[in-house]
Amino acid sequence: MTVTLVSVLFVAAGLTALGAFIAAWRRDLSAALTGLPVMFAGAGVAFVGVARFSAVSGAPLLGHEVAVLLAIAALSATGLGIGLAGREGSR
Amino acid sequence: MDSLHAIGFFVSAALAGAGGLFLAFTDRHERRGVAMGLIALGMAGVYASLSAGFAAIVVLICYAGCALLLARPDYRTVEQAAGGLWRQAGAVGAAALLGALAYAAFRGNFAHATFNGGPFGAEWVGRLLFAHDAMATEAVGGLVLVALVGAAAAWRRERPRDEREGRR
Repeated sequence: MTVTLVSVLFVAAGLTALGAFIAAWRRDLSAALTGLPVMFAGAGVAFVGVARFSAVSGAPLLGHEVAVLLAIAALSATGLGIGLAGREGSR
Repeated sequence: MDSLHAIGFFVSAALAGAGGLFLAFTDRHERRGVAMGLIALGMAGVYASLSAGFAAIVVLICYAGCALLLARPDYRTVEQAAGGLWRQAGAVGAAALLGALAYAAFRGNFAHATFNGGPFGAEWVGRLLFAHDAMATEAVGGLVLVALVGAAAAWRRERPRDEREGRR
């Protein structure tokens, strides 16, 4: 049993499609928002996989850097979305 | 890649996928937080097994933050205006996206390279973030700042529960 770029890309495809499904399927917008970090996670897995198995030119570990930036962007998007959804009052 | 890393990769990928499915079909806020925590653990495991230890730590922290935000009990439920037909079309589109990406991954002719980085990679990622791609880092920093300010400003206004239920 070994891991290749194809298996990494399959995982990335699954996570990206799952995030798109969550964003499209959920009726509640604050729940649909949770699809965004899942899609970003799929993109990050693809970048890290390419950096691990197929990076023949360019800066080393560029995929790791993009994965880090995507994770930070996912946290920002989730925070902004929850903030825009707003706080529910007690009345 | 040895068998131990391969097992770690597949187990972590399964954990992330299970967390994503749980996130797709759960309704309670706390369970959404738990599901996002599962995704965080799975993602960190996948990254660690792919020799991206630094990215794994950052992803674990960021997605744990997402999980804590989603687990809050006091944010509103905002109903979509789109009808069921559009939601079903979106779900079919997501399935088509999965098929297209899986086909591209299966049929692609990828280059093979020997990985020379270490298991953690913090030094190279730091050089990239703060020297080679400093502009991208600053752009993401600006994005984080705008998101935090916007979220704080929007969060200050408390909305009554009746507004959610359409009884104004």
